[in-house]
Amino acid sequence: MAYKFSTINVLIVEDNLPMMELTRSILETFGIEHVDSAKDGEEGFAMFCQHNYDLVIADWMMKPMDGISLTRRIRNDPLSPNQFVPVILVTGFSEKRRVIQARDAGVTEFLVKPFNARDLYRRIAQIIERPRQFVRSEDFFGPDRRRKRKSAYTGPMRRESDAEEAEEARKKPTDFAKTLQTAEEFRDPNIERSSS
Amino acid sequence: MQHYNQTPKRKAEFINPPNHLKDKVGSGGISDDILDKAEALLENNTVDFQPLAEMYLGSLMKGIDMCKDSSASDDDEYLISTMLYPAMQLKANGGMFHYPLITEVADRLIQFLEVIDAPDLESIEIVLAFHTTMRAIIHGKIKGEGGSHGRELLKALNKACIRYFEKPVA
Repeated sequence: MAYKFSTINVLIVEDNLPMMELTRSILETFGIEHVDSAKDGEEGFAMFCQHNYDLVIADWMMKPMDGISLTRRIRNDPLSPNQFVPVILVTGFSEKRRVIQARDAGVTEFLVKPFNARDLYRRIAQIIERPRQFVRSEDFFGPDRRRKRKSAYTGPMRRESDAEEAEEARKKPTDFAKTLQTAEEFRDPNIERSSS
Repeated sequence: MQHYNQTPKRKAEFINPPNHLKDKVGSGGISDDILDKAEALLENNTVDFQPLAEMYLGSLMKGIDMCKDSSASDDDEYLISTMLYPAMQLKANGGMFHYPLITEVADRLIQFLEVIDAPDLESIEIVLAFHTTMRAIIHGKIKGEGGSHGRELLKALNKACIRYFEKPVA
């Protein structure tokens, strides 16, 4: 069994024609038959509203509308036919603050150029197999920005639900407590212990 | 754990949207053969990068000129962006079209532009050196990593950046 990529339609939003053609060829090699393209975010959003694509792959730097603004419109514009559509942002930027900027706009996956075919495939497979929940707060709507497992998260606890999670975490026995409990369960009742 | 004591700042609603993509494509991934084919397609692309590179180098030079002609009242962040964006395009596209040395050089330039506060004369000179180097790579059709000559070029540019940050604060 393999992915039936022939069933999905993808929009590439890229102002660099050779780059767009190259991305299209890779997707077609993967088996994606329905690939459309737009040359900037404005045209991309109009096409998205018309065809409601399953996946959007957008470049960051485009004029008049860039990939970040396109993502914001997809996520927040009432005209958007699917606010949850996965968006892969492709860019030459790799600095942390740029990644954060993209994440805060509601981008699903971030792909740094130059990339290879496996890099692109990995992003698509990630979206298919490990979709992220969405978060709606006062100032954000998009894929959950806390991507790592909760136990690994060490950042600020700003969500209302964080207090409950913190309480749950507090109630859970620590590793040391678990060790003691296990030791107690395996204690031999026949051995007499002196009390101190 | 200290963060747990912070006052919650906002309410968040969590939504698990239906996974339409998964519903449509099913399971199983794609084979290594297909991935190899896609990689080969990328590696063997015959796109001529030169016209694209010339366009981005032209934009970079415009940015350099704009910074040279700027006044103290101009927005530094905007001025830097006029050089940063073409540098990003060179970095992004060089490696896609057989010029990984352009990607490496442009990446160093981006790192430099991301940390400077303002485009002063010394920094503009350094950007100009990056521009000259990348132009030479494109005109010399130096595809690939550029060998020892490529490494020397990178080393020299790196040194120039380090010297800039070592200069005494006025």
